[in-house]
Amino acid sequence: MSLDVLLSTILLVSFLVTIVLAILSYVAYKLRESRRTGDGAAHQATPALFERVLDVDEPEAASRESPRAR
Amino acid sequence: MRPTPVRRRLGVAALIVATLAIALLAALRLDTARLTANTDSVALRIGVVLVLVFLVLLITRYVVLLWLGYLHHIEARREIPVSTFAPPLTIIVPAFDEAEVIEAALQSLLELDYPEYEILVVDDGSTDATCEIASRAEGRRGSVEVRVVRQANRGKAAALNTGLAMARHDFVVCVDGDSRLEPDALTAAMRHFADPHVGAVAGNVKVVNRNNLWTRLQALEYIEGLNLARRAQGLLRVVNIIPGPVGIFRRDALARVGGYATDTFAEDADVTLELMTAGWHIVYEDRAVAWTEAPERLVELIKQRYRWTRGILQALRKRGSWLTTPARGRIVWVSLCAMLFEATCWPVVSVLGNTVFVIAALEAGAASGIFYWWLLLMMLDVAAALHTVAMEGEDLRLVPYAIPYRFVFIVFIDVAKLFATVEELARVRMTWGKLARAGRL
Repeated sequence: MSLDVLLSTILLVSFLVTIVLAILSYVAYKLRESRRTGDGAAHQATPALFERVLDVDEPEAASRESPRAR
Repeated sequence: MRPTPVRRRLGVAALIVATLAIALLAALRLDTARLTANTDSVALRIGVVLVLVFLVLLITRYVVLLWLGYLHHIEARREIPVSTFAPPLTIIVPAFDEAEVIEAALQSLLELDYPEYEILVVDDGSTDATCEIASRAEGRRGSVEVRVVRQANRGKAAALNTGLAMARHDFVVCVDGDSRLEPDALTAAMRHFADPHVGAVAGNVKVVNRNNLWTRLQALEYIEGLNLARRAQGLLRVVNIIPGPVGIFRRDALARVGGYATDTFAEDADVTLELMTAGWHIVYEDRAVAWTEAPERLVELIKQRYRWTRGILQALRKRGSWLTTPARGRIVWVSLCAMLFEATCWPVVSVLGNTVFVIAALEAGAASGIFYWWLLLMMLDVAAALHTVAMEGEDLRLVPYAIPYRFVFIVFIDVAKLFATVEELARVRMTWGKLARAGRL
């Protein structure tokens, strides 16, 4: 077997392994997130991110706040 | 003997020429004609065409970015480095569970070489000791005032809006709770605001925790990928993402576009697009350096890139009409299209390009071509790494990481991007996903 064929074989195997590992890593991430979301749901009924800013207890802030934030 | 700057530049230039020469030789040996000559398969011929399209796109992308980036580098070095434009400013630090790093971050902010500023920490309902640690720094220290405000947990964008609303000065610096600024970062960035058209300045983010393979690869990626793109965009004044770890804004510009939106997972990309399409110029300052912690574990890295990709797509989807009608100026439109391409098409082209090539080479009985294909791409990456690392005056020991960069690191990133794109199109529910901090600032 010539050197370039040997190197190509190594690269081919490495490439395929990397693709499989990348997909597995993504699956691991999703599994971990789904478990975390399940745990978090007990403590937090609504998602924290999609809320508008309403600084009602900060008068100075409210008066200077941006239109979107209001 | 320590190399002089001139010798170092010559050495880097020689290495770039050498790597490009090897890449050229690999391209000649690749002999794609042989692949198609050995078979009548239509699928294989289509595959080879796809591969060539990928190669042309890759080289064009590199050439355009490197050239614009280099022009930006020359322009930046020609300008007067010291500016007298130094108005007072407010540094907003949104923090959620940053107990590991908040002290170091605040310490770096207190040591900035800037005449007058205030630091406003917005604790976003942390469940750890972040607020207590930050409160220790509260009060006036010379010309710097530190304030800490606490709010119920509402997300980073909401925390930034609170900071924006409470800021006392006309210029605001938004940093992450896990970032550390270089002392001269603000002096370097603020000079751009002497131009009234400039609405924001994007800083230069670098990885601080270069302690394993993944973080070193990310350190290289920030230099060769993210910062190079920002440098190129900066030349045209259309930087399309002001990074979370360091962004400097004209407060009036932010207020006019309504502050940070809370309906995407990439508030930094979203607000940048809003500013850009409102007509503000957004520039890049490579001397405004912020050091940040990169994810040290693969799963954390995937989580980060998944969120970035979906966030960018959400920000772009909100502005779908701007993509179809270039009413806001051609450069802005090109920048938006480039952003969409990088987020959606490029990962597909990249993964498919490599996969198709491998299949085509095996089908045609030209397996040795795989080696030359890999060598060609690797040499292009090494040449780009040498160029960008030298341009930033960065650690040359990062350059060898360009070898596993495309066929290991980029594969992981692109696969995460692909899935993120599919899930965003399918509107799969997602959560923010706080990254674990190692406290390495």
